[in-house]
Amino acid sequence: MSELRGERTSRNAVALAAAIAELGIECALEARGGLALLLPTPEGVAALQVDESRRAVLALAKEHGFTHVAIELPSERRRSSTSADAPLLRD
Amino acid sequence: MALDLDAVSEADLAAKTSALAAWLHANAPVAIGYSGGVDSAYLAVAARQTLGADRALAIIGRSASYPAEQWATARDVAQRFDVKVLELDTGELDDPRYAANPSNRCYYCKTELWSRLVPVAHSCGFPTVVDGTNADDLSDYRPGAQAAREHRVASPLAELGFTKLHIRHASRALGIPTWQQPSSPCLSSRLPYGTEVTRGRLRQIELAEAALRKLGIAGDLRVRFHEELARVELAPTELSAWLDPERMAVLTEAVSQAGFTRVALDLRGFRSGSLNVLHGVSIA
Repeated sequence: MSELRGERTSRNAVALAAAIAELGIECALEARGGLALLLPTPEGVAALQVDESRRAVLALAKEHGFTHVAIELPSERRRSSTSADAPLLRD
Repeated sequence: MALDLDAVSEADLAAKTSALAAWLHANAPVAIGYSGGVDSAYLAVAARQTLGADRALAIIGRSASYPAEQWATARDVAQRFDVKVLELDTGELDDPRYAANPSNRCYYCKTELWSRLVPVAHSCGFPTVVDGTNADDLSDYRPGAQAAREHRVASPLAELGFTKLHIRHASRALGIPTWQQPSSPCLSSRLPYGTEVTRGRLRQIELAEAALRKLGIAGDLRVRFHEELARVELAPTELSAWLDPERMAVLTEAVSQAGFTRVALDLRGFRSGSLNVLHGVSIA
């Protein structure tokens, strides 16, 4: 299941997260203004290595009002800092 | 970098370089606002070869927004082609209007640059001051161009219709190593408008980009600043390779060393003016 966190704006982050999940790409999504930040599972990362999948995600993001899409890269620091953060908002 | 050999005809290039030589002779002696980027490097070398060593002077404005790597390139090219260089410090970061990072930030930067550089050029006997603005730049959002006009700085490359591609071809013909160098705007361009420009943030961006270059990334590259998050833009052709988990870890580590706690890879890859698009200053 995809997760959503960050601001809720006129851009449709909820719908984008659902649309990406329908492509079979598992990830959480954080909306930062026009940037859709994806936090994919390892399987999601593997899927995004394929040019066609990336193109599909970019097209969906544009369709839902986002100008940029990036994937957050996993890091030890991130994992340790998120443990104390507010919980993710769920879609 | 692959250069499209058919996109610029030899006759067109020859006509443009002849026109530039005529322009330089008509306006000599000439001082060039020089950064070591593709455009100003070509202009400085062309001026030196057309006018001789004493009638062309390249002037570098140094500040925290000017990457050390580019400074080294500027000095290397000047030395290799016997271009006389003068260096001065600029203080745009001390101007709160610049540091606040409005969408016309470049206007304040160039105002600072030209208000220091032009009087120095004149006092050294160079009445004509030029910059490396090219014809492609004229269609982009460039508030710095207004400052150039206000200080009577000429842009012969743009005036004569030199596009970036013309300049790369002409540079290659002269053996200038910057012919295949990616475009390199100042480090402040990595911060979204409205995010304060500080020496610390510029240093963080510079360190992150230098670390990525050390990993062998030679093409277009930007580390975009989003507070704790660095968003890395690579040439689209490089993207797939860096989505490999092992390489992602290497990339993350390199950028994290510069002080970012989160690292993201842009899925579309490098695009010029990316933050303008993100903040609605230009069209996606």
